[in-house]
Amino acid sequence: MTYLLPHRFKKIGVAIAPIGFALWVFMQMGMITHALNFFIQETANNHFAFHVVNVSIAVMSFFSFLAGIYFITFSKEKIEDEMVQRTRLDSFQFAALTQIIFIIIGFFSMMILEEPSEGGLMLFFISIIFLFWLSFICRFNYILHIKIFRSNHS
Amino acid sequence: MKNYLKEERTKKQLTQVELAEMVNVSRQTIISIETGRYTPSVTLAIKLAVVLGKRVESLFELEKTD
Repeated sequence: MTYLLPHRFKKIGVAIAPIGFALWVFMQMGMITHALNFFIQETANNHFAFHVVNVSIAVMSFFSFLAGIYFITFSKEKIEDEMVQRTRLDSFQFAALTQIIFIIIGFFSMMILEEPSEGGLMLFFISIIFLFWLSFICRFNYILHIKIFRSNHS
Repeated sequence: MKNYLKEERTKKQLTQVELAEMVNVSRQTIISIETGRYTPSVTLAIKLAVVLGKRVESLFELEKTD
């Protein structure tokens, strides 16, 4: 596989993805805004700067999560052999199938249940992207690091 | 495909890790071949045969379903 990153990127991804995700969740819960309000009081004078800091943290957390997941997905294993490559391919197929099923269920539930809001629709599209990568990571690592070793002991 | 990798490896007193290092693959690959979950490529099959001092056809055997 030509487009895979060196193995060290996997460790970087494992480090930054949870941080990005946690920051993004805190942001959604409004905790970052509360913290900012605690340290820098929002006034009419610094309203714009306050908003810029808030948005910057949101963007940084989202993209660090995205980059972290990308690094985990597209970096080589310590020993990248033919079986690992086949497992990678299988996992990509599994992830694609999961994504298609999610899209179909999502669209049908939107049609049947109710008209989604703009935010809901955006969340749905973001989920589609993440679902692909997360299902790939789960499947790939489960086969390579759990299932194979279990079969060795049985 | 049936294989006698585990038997031959044990005869040679090699661990899965040692055999994996000798043929430049991961331990997971050796486990997968031994448990029949993965059929190796021709290249890897030949490498394994050479390392274990056996012929490929005595290490790997076709089954009726293959």
